[in-house]
Amino acid sequence: MNDTSSLLGQAELILRPWAADYTHPEADRLDVLLPPEALKIAVRALQKARWGYFAALTGLDLPAPAGAKPEDGHIEGLYHFCEGAAVLTLRVRLPYARAQVESLCEVIPSALLYEREFSEMYGVDVLQSPMKTRLLLADDWPEDVYPMRKSFSGLQEPPAAEVKVG
Amino acid sequence: MDNQVEARKFIVPIGPQHPALKEPGHFEFSVEGEVVTGASVRLGYVHRGIEKAAESRNWTQNLYLFERICGICSHVHATALTLGVEKLANLQVPPRAQAIRTLMGELERIHSHLLWLGVAAHEGGFDTLFMYSWRDRETVMDLLESISGNRVHYSANIIGGVKFDIDDQRKDAILRGMDFLEPRTRHYLDVVTGDRTFIARTRGIGGMTREQAELLGAVGPTARASGVTRDVRVDSPYAAYPDFPVNVVTDEGGDLAARFVVRIKELFETYRLVREILAKLPPGELAVRALRRVPAGETVSRVEAPRGELFYFLKSAGADKPDRVKVRTPSLCNWATVTQVAVGHKLADMPMLLSGIDPCFSCNDRLVRVNRGRDSELMSWEALRRYGIEYYQK
Amino acid sequence: MTEMTVSSPWQALLDKIRDWARINSPWAIHYNSGSCNGCDIEILATLTPRYDMERFGVKLQGSPRHADILICTGPVTRLSRERLLRTYEQMPEPKFVVAVGSCGLSGGVFRGCYNIVGDISEVVPVDVYIPGCPPRPEAIIYGVVQLLESLKNKAPAAAGQLPDSDALSGKENQ
Repeated sequence: MNDTSSLLGQAELILRPWAADYTHPEADRLDVLLPPEALKIAVRALQKARWGYFAALTGLDLPAPAGAKPEDGHIEGLYHFCEGAAVLTLRVRLPYARAQVESLCEVIPSALLYEREFSEMYGVDVLQSPMKTRLLLADDWPEDVYPMRKSFSGLQEPPAAEVKVG
Repeated sequence: MDNQVEARKFIVPIGPQHPALKEPGHFEFSVEGEVVTGASVRLGYVHRGIEKAAESRNWTQNLYLFERICGICSHVHATALTLGVEKLANLQVPPRAQAIRTLMGELERIHSHLLWLGVAAHEGGFDTLFMYSWRDRETVMDLLESISGNRVHYSANIIGGVKFDIDDQRKDAILRGMDFLEPRTRHYLDVVTGDRTFIARTRGIGGMTREQAELLGAVGPTARASGVTRDVRVDSPYAAYPDFPVNVVTDEGGDLAARFVVRIKELFETYRLVREILAKLPPGELAVRALRRVPAGETVSRVEAPRGELFYFLKSAGADKPDRVKVRTPSLCNWATVTQVAVGHKLADMPMLLSGIDPCFSCNDRLVRVNRGRDSELMSWEALRRYGIEYYQK
Repeated sequence: MTEMTVSSPWQALLDKIRDWARINSPWAIHYNSGSCNGCDIEILATLTPRYDMERFGVKLQGSPRHADILICTGPVTRLSRERLLRTYEQMPEPKFVVAVGSCGLSGGVFRGCYNIVGDISEVVPVDVYIPGCPPRPEAIIYGVVQLLESLKNKAPAAAGQLPDSDALSGKENQ
């Protein structure tokens, strides 16, 4: 898989100025931990080098471990880019207290849908997003309730109060 | 604001809805005169909360759940999930199982492309083509049912392999099916490339250059119709594809016509693949044993669904239930292309343009809302569809 | 059925004619409340030559205002719930609902998911359930025919009744 490892090597080089850490979780994957402030500029560098396409944005909820303060948890954003068989994942850690990340839409317009979903599911503020309206959740879904957070276990009240017909 | 005499807004909801509702989930077009000036999308009608539910079900239960993300491409979802789990668990799936998985995936591709062909044709008013393609599609539905027991949701996969085998009788039936479909598919290719009305509605419409396709992150036949050689079966071969390589079908046209041509030509490639897999079906077991608990780790699983790349991210914490399953469907990528490409086109082109990406959302009934200044008017999708047909008949 | 409370010697005859018209050519509207599409494509298949539901006189069309039957699929997502209600409300009386698929019955595999209601009858009254994941086109046609039969008898088909094989094969009682 020479092609794949050289592709990942290229990516590593491009991201070197900002990377806090690298790992190779699988043969065809490279994970790069970035400070959130560096995300957009790193993606711009990838775009410039025409490395891969933005494939998906995975959110992870990492609550504080037992014994620690609950507010010490964080959300992790995994920005996946693919080139051939190579999968590059840019990882940013967003503490609950400051769960915000810059929108990539200026660089990648099609990032919008991914960011909207990430935002409403995890409660992350995507700064300078061109559109912040809900993508998947209903308009009457309560504010501040983020279904993909581990702490969410279902809404208490039934969907919009409406007398059953019949 | 008043000098925008003819500025109108069309809201195309993804789901039937009542005129009174002001904030539908929808696909929204802004129109000036006949020309589309902007587009955006709001989904949510089919949002069920599957990724969350996955965390409270065990890996096997999740197979049944994820299969049902989509009734049209259910097998690829199950395949993406099982391949991911098998990577985490370091399972060596027997070659016969991988081949059968691949075979089911290709049969699914046939049914999906024929389905799409019929529906897209219907959007343009070509109802004969719809009826013919869906009748032909029954050939594949029968095969799928004969092999798996169900026409839709075949549940072929288990973690570690497949549930059923392909015996000689079925092999013959499948081969006969391919022989039946091939000449009929040739006929469809002739129609989409030769029929004048069809060409009028598809050539030069919805053009997307290779750069645009790459920039917008298009995937699947939508991308390949713009010359982007992107196909997960080739870029990152999975299941049995390393042993049964695929020839990527592309077209330089970049327009709606090219999208029709690419999908039809992919059918030929699929018939060839199916025959090859059956001719060289490896002997052996159907599955290896899998443990209930999956070792901790994270993995990415990518497969080529009929609509394009399906991307799964899995995280296990070492339990019998997943910690996280993320699904990014190909249609989500392709929505972005429509919102960009629609601009500059005529309203009459919208039904066909939308079908061109083979959107995988539910609902045949859709309503369109026309905003003229402060007034609001409702148009049924049927009416919009007929509007498009009549426009081109003039 | 509210119209039948008007008493008049002609009313019974009018009812019979209307029922005959409805049984012989009911207009149906299809609504997807958040399904995976599996049921919907099998419903669509019933219109194609091999199954041809139209020979039973059932016409699938687009407007709730002209529909007798609402054929509904899906586990009713939160966003979809109100749409379903509005669609049902737009239909003139008498109207009937056919729930197609396991999702409409109980939520199917999605039971327990945070964004769904589940059983369609939590939202609108259901006259016929057609179980399956998805039910095959023949089963869908059978379910609709059951509804038509029950209209004739003015009572819903009793649960557990065995199918009339003639209805299934299309050899309808003439």
